Amino acid sequence: MNPTADGIVLGAAATAIVAYLIFPVIVVLAISFSAGNFLEFPPPGLSLRWYRAIAGDPEWISAFMVTLKVGSLTALLATLLGVPAAFALVRHVVPAKALLNALILCALVTPPIVTAISTYLFFVPLGLNNSIGGLACAHAVSGMPFVVINTAASLRSADRNLERAAIIHGAPPLWAIIRITLPIISPGIIIGAILAFVHSAHELLIAMFVLGGVGKPVTVKIWSDVQATSDPTIAAASAILIGLAILTFISVSTAQALARRRNG
Amino acid sequence: MTAIAEHAPPRAHAVGQAIPALLLLPALIWIVAFFLLPLVLMCWRSLAAEGYSFKAYETVFTSPLYTKVMLTTLESASVATVLALVLAYPMAYTLIITSGIRRGLLLMFVFIPYWVDIIVRTFSWLILLGDHGLINALLRNLGIIHAPLPLLYSEFAVLVGMVQILLPLTIVVLFGAMLRIDRTLIAAAKIHGASSWQAFRNVFFPLSLPGVYGAALLVFVLSLGFYVTPALLGSPRQTMIAQTIMVEASELLDWGQASAAGFVLLVITTLIAAIYNRYFSLDRLWGGSDA
Repeated sequence: MNPTADGIVLGAAATAIVAYLIFPVIVVLAISFSAGNFLEFPPPGLSLRWYRAIAGDPEWISAFMVTLKVGSLTALLATLLGVPAAFALVRHVVPAKALLNALILCALVTPPIVTAISTYLFFVPLGLNNSIGGLACAHAVSGMPFVVINTAASLRSADRNLERAAIIHGAPPLWAIIRITLPIISPGIIIGAILAFVHSAHELLIAMFVLGGVGKPVTVKIWSDVQATSDPTIAAASAILIGLAILTFISVSTAQALARRRNG
Repeated sequence: MTAIAEHAPPRAHAVGQAIPALLLLPALIWIVAFFLLPLVLMCWRSLAAEGYSFKAYETVFTSPLYTKVMLTTLESASVATVLALVLAYPMAYTLIITSGIRRGLLLMFVFIPYWVDIIVRTFSWLILLGDHGLINALLRNLGIIHAPLPLLYSEFAVLVGMVQILLPLTIVVLFGAMLRIDRTLIAAAKIHGASSWQAFRNVFFPLSLPGVYGAALLVFVLSLGFYVTPALLGSPRQTMIAQTIMVEASELLDWGQASAAGFVLLVITTLIAAIYNRYFSLDRLWGGSDA
């Protein structure tokens, strides 16, 4: 094969794969603006009626509020727990570091159904079921790895001499970390917090067991509606989540670009 | 940085022992309280259904229902893993050989679906593969078929959905692994007369295989736990283990049985994840800023 033939084959393959990845997303976006009454693609006409339907439905508003609350609390908890852990793992000699690392990350490879039923069994006697705080506590476990990984990466690439210089000039070590190091690594922390939020907003199974009755978050509401109804309201709700994904991508890229500029 | 900490004077070292412990403690307490303790409780529950017995485990390993579900799960997960790797490889390679804005754009197309909810992506196939969906309509208009093909509620639909969901992570993991390959070796092969295909076949591809094995283990572990996609796109005959556990827990309210099946699934995934972690280290994933 000559180089151009290679290039054409590879380019065609990459295009086909991108189409496969993106097409489902485009379909949902298109249907969310449908003027028709059913989930059909291509939509018969365009309108904003399904977005209005969501805005006028207290159940959907409440679902979005619940997701927002659980997600923010998850991101906050994951950051408070994850940032110190990342400092310990990057900067200090810790016994059994590999094991600790694996322990922090293992929630991400545990099947969600297993985490969901074990969390439910644990929450029932504690009375944490049906509570937003309870769900955030559970989500924080799998949100934490995102914070630890991204904070650790920022810490490894940050220039520690700036912090040392502050200490030499008389700053107390903790103050030097707060005033010098934290601002330098803040893009990493922010990426981690955003990913923890998104992770929580997408999580279905734990949410279904903990907040399955009243006060459902968006994913649980979409999941129960998908099986019951077939009007494009679900598509509009999904489109709002896709908007969240695009927003995530933009903020993560911005934070990364910021980090790159800081590190020169 | 850590090298300096290791050579710190003895006094600083003694203080340095208490600090990391204090920094790690909150995270560890949290993981024990909200992750490990519930798992222990689930294990206890699986044994304590009717007095203490292994009856629930006996059911998992011997009943025809569980045998079938386990085999279906292993089969779907294996096929999805292979398909995801076959599709991810050329994409990751394309990312390697492009740069600048083109690479950025391609990465955007990989990452945006990654951050779109799994239910949303699955739900989209529900519309596309239905009897009146785009694919059947297209085939009918082209005159290829007269009656709609039964695409939905089949193994085909489940695989289409699963692979689409697994692809972004597979691409990112393979891309990360390929970035660590020394590309001057390919240039060297070409200088010595290899065509670009030969250089790829004999130099780049063998060097990329460890990354492929790593991605395979990881994607396989994640596929074993799929719930939404088989539940929405599959037929009852292709039930996967997560769905069975869900039915035991939420419909039959047999928590002992659900816990036992959950524990077996946990042991299988943890073992595979441990092998992965031993050879590839989990923390290279998720976040990607290290890659």
